[in-house]
Amino acid sequence: PPPPPPYFIEQAARGSPTSQHGAAQGRASRSVCGTVAVRCEVIGRRRRRGAGEEGVGCWASWWLGQRGGLVLIEDTIECEGRSLLKTFVAASAHRGESVHVFGFEIPEEEFRAGFDPDVTVRLLYQDGFTDPLRWTGEAGGFCGEEFTALGVSGQLARGPAGPATVVLDSLSWLLLRQPLPAVCQALGRIPMAAASAGLRVTRILALLHGDLHPPGLVETLRSLARAVVGVGPAPEGVGSGGDTPRLASMLQRKETGKVLEKEEYFTILAGFTPKALGEPTGSVPRDEDTDPHSMADPAANLTFNLRLSDTERRARDGVPLPFHFSAQKKSSLLEASASAGKIYYEPDAADDLDEEDPDDDLDV
Amino acid sequence: MAALATGGATPSDGATSFQRKVPASSRLAAIAGTRPSVRHGQLLLSSGLPSLDCVLGGGLAVGTLLLIEEDKYGIYSNLLFKYFLAEGIVCGHNLFVASAKEDPADILKELPAPLFDDVHKNQVDEKETAIKSKQESQESMKIAWRYQNLPKMEVSPAASARFGHYYDVSKTVSPELLKSIKWHRFFLPEEMSLHPEIKTCNMTCGYTRLLQSIQRIIYQEGFDGSYPQKKQKNILRIGIQSLGSVLWGDDICCTDNPEDIFSLTKFLYVLRGLLRMSLSACIITVPAHLIQNKAIMERVTNLSDTVVGLESFIGSERETNPLYKDYQGLIHVHQIPRLNSLICDVSGTKDLAFRLKRKQFTIEFADHQPCASQKEHILTFKHRLSFRASS
Repeated sequence: PPPPPPYFIEQAARGSPTSQHGAAQGRASRSVCGTVAVRCEVIGRRRRRGAGEEGVGCWASWWLGQRGGLVLIEDTIECEGRSLLKTFVAASAHRGESVHVFGFEIPEEEFRAGFDPDVTVRLLYQDGFTDPLRWTGEAGGFCGEEFTALGVSGQLARGPAGPATVVLDSLSWLLLRQPLPAVCQALGRIPMAAASAGLRVTRILALLHGDLHPPGLVETLRSLARAVVGVGPAPEGVGSGGDTPRLASMLQRKETGKVLEKEEYFTILAGFTPKALGEPTGSVPRDEDTDPHSMADPAANLTFNLRLSDTERRARDGVPLPFHFSAQKKSSLLEASASAGKIYYEPDAADDLDEEDPDDDLDV
Repeated sequence: MAALATGGATPSDGATSFQRKVPASSRLAAIAGTRPSVRHGQLLLSSGLPSLDCVLGGGLAVGTLLLIEEDKYGIYSNLLFKYFLAEGIVCGHNLFVASAKEDPADILKELPAPLFDDVHKNQVDEKETAIKSKQESQESMKIAWRYQNLPKMEVSPAASARFGHYYDVSKTVSPELLKSIKWHRFFLPEEMSLHPEIKTCNMTCGYTRLLQSIQRIIYQEGFDGSYPQKKQKNILRIGIQSLGSVLWGDDICCTDNPEDIFSLTKFLYVLRGLLRMSLSACIITVPAHLIQNKAIMERVTNLSDTVVGLESFIGSERETNPLYKDYQGLIHVHQIPRLNSLICDVSGTKDLAFRLKRKQFTIEFADHQPCASQKEHILTFKHRLSFRASS
């Protein structure tokens, strides 16, 4: 098996979902690498800024977390996302999965340019660019209308067996020609249809041009996707000269229900390898442990004293409470709860107990 | 008022020593897991969350529809959905699970496990100890010593005779418990593949099939009284996940001008008719934040009985607000049904927040002031007491 690429630190089998049903090849490569604790935190109370390797580890966690889900790469006209899509393709191919690319926007040669030879071997390209409406009547190629669960799984079945990644370049092209519900239903059914044909689709990568669609459509797709990466331009001064730094804001939805959000600068080196360039210095990390002291103390600015000193507190504890019974009376009361009620009378200091019967004085 | 089940509680339960005096002959055959409401005389079901039952005025009435407006990532609405179904399992009701995204069998496998009495009794909530003064320890109470041998009321869930149970979110329900109930499924891709002759982008198609399926189950299993000789009646709990999302074939979530703007409202109208004429209750989650045309949500609210909206703090600026630091989100009760009355008699509190712990999902007032000497839980506990007093 090819040596694993240095920038991917993979997690050893610790009960992660992919480890249970990984290919033998994948398992071998996983056992070579050590473990790393990926620390992308939940956007909960804390927002910690991590070290540099967290970003790269974050890329790794994306792969380990996906299980037949949709990964959406959202770009705009200011910053293109196809190079990021190609890095995911390269990573997938390096993991030993076959990659089925459904290309509609750029020709095949342009898509294959820049990949290493071992990546292009695993790449199976379905050409939807040359003849999308089938005017020439030639066999081969892929038509837009064929994008249904059955059509896609039919194309997948022609490739080698084993785990497969489906890449859509781009989803926007399909959405401009077909209604969204049909496309979403097809995307949802692709893993099931492929499974019935004997394949295993690990994930579906889709490139979406965010500014081509109404915001409702983009929001809907984001809610359906398992992970969303938004690509935008980075401000100047990030990274060394020669790279084109970009900002990736990632949103990942795990199976346990947790939602991870992270922003990171990255650049893409030759051979489509990503390189993390650190995080934006946005929000100041707020530690919630300092909060109780900063909370408004209601007893602070009053004209009377509401606080207790220690001696005062002890004096308060020492005051005898009413109905303060002796210990044995308490225990007997507690034990005898099931029997008939007994009357306990403890005379206090002001009581005058006279045993004589007052009726004896009567002269009748 | 103590939660008197129709059978009464024996003193050995520790709950109460009062017994309801009902002559044995006139006792109606009660359906498991229900209790009559003292307000409007309807039969009430538990929604799976005792604190949500308090907010809704005792529970969900049989024959009504509970609509949950999903939070942004659908986490907590999914949890409420699961609590509802898990309550059905514990009470022995029949389930009908419909989804377009996940297989209903997978949904049922991930339901939370119920907590029974002996497990939970030992784990005392810290809030209950804060109500006594600081110097009292748990073992010997100085002031309230008569009560120290009694178990804590209304925190410990009892066996399935009680109304409303607690669930442990970290564990899933055991397969034996799942097998003991009868459940029906509706998975839209499966239905579509079985009958592919109808076009997949016809959005009323998915809704029509679902309605037909529900009607068929109600009729076949006799929930609408079609088999009067069947003595043991049961409730059908229907759960529909993410209705109105694109996976059902409806495009109200993506455009302002959908193709058929009324298909969801028609569905709800027919569904409510089916519910009213049968012994069933339904929970539906709707991705309301995605629906573009706000008029649709107004109509949907009108056509449902109980509408609860969830708003989670994940990713929003309220997350770091110190007022909300113990809570995971807000609950907005948009509508409570007016059954057999002109007004709904549940207090209109607007600031409810929810907090999710592993064993408890509590809904509390969000506007508490921190107390200087003790933790702020005193006030929240007092408010929870007032919930109990009113129900």
